[in-house]
Amino acid sequence: MAQGSSAQGGGGEGEIDLTPMLDVVFIMLIFFIVTSSFVKEPGVEITKTEAVTTGACERGTIIFAVDAVGKIFYDKKEVQVDRAYRLAEAARKEAPKANFVIQADVDAPTSALDELLSAIKPLMDAPLCASTEEEG
Amino acid sequence: MRKRKRVADSDEAEIDLTPMLDVVFIMLIFFIVVASFIKEAGIEVNRPDNSKSDPSDATSIVVTITGDDQVWMENRRIDIRSVRANIARLLASDPEQSFTVKTERGASASTLIEVGDAAREAGVASVNWPAEEKK
Repeated sequence: MAQGSSAQGGGGEGEIDLTPMLDVVFIMLIFFIVTSSFVKEPGVEITKTEAVTTGACERGTIIFAVDAVGKIFYDKKEVQVDRAYRLAEAARKEAPKANFVIQADVDAPTSALDELLSAIKPLMDAPLCASTEEEG
Repeated sequence: MRKRKRVADSDEAEIDLTPMLDVVFIMLIFFIVVASFIKEAGIEVNRPDNSKSDPSDATSIVVTITGDDQVWMENRRIDIRSVRANIARLLASDPEQSFTVKTERGASASTLIEVGDAAREAGVASVNWPAEEKK
């Protein structure tokens, strides 16, 4: 790729106008920069509950997971409840429009969910999205 | 953009765009690889701002999930599959009613989500889940 363009761009005889391609490449580059959200996945296998009313989580890019014994995961690491707030705050600073998603295992105790939700509640400006599986 | 085009078209400028092109391509490939397009799907659960406010007033539907995953509504135990029908019946008299699901320590997330799902299916505006009461 680099060789081809240098032979044509550098040598006087090639005379291929790279400008239109460059425009397209720039537009693609800007598109991918804008759409990339750098989601940190919790990285644990979660069996989600099936729900009929499953809908898309709008801008749900800050994802916490609660496993079957109530451990909380964020960014492939287990975190304690009191650290969850600071992680959520940092994630929120990075992406101010992001909303929170909690992936809860079917066997996860609601007490763990409750503690996590209470911890991050001050940061939330939209309802929490509880991740579910589309039924069917 | 237009200015650059004129420079490239005219013969006297002779700016070698190749290194920039290489960088741009590498950035492009990086962002294509990194872009994950994760689409999470789920149900919305609202946490009321003030947990001290009493949700058990007359204009609210309250479902309680006990620590052993029993579902209670209007002072009687009901089957999880009949939650939707019960909520739909209550909503029929007043469609504006708010919906609250209370959980006790020990309940499992699947019961909570199933009740919330049933309520949404019945047509409630939002599922409210206040903080669990500490014992």
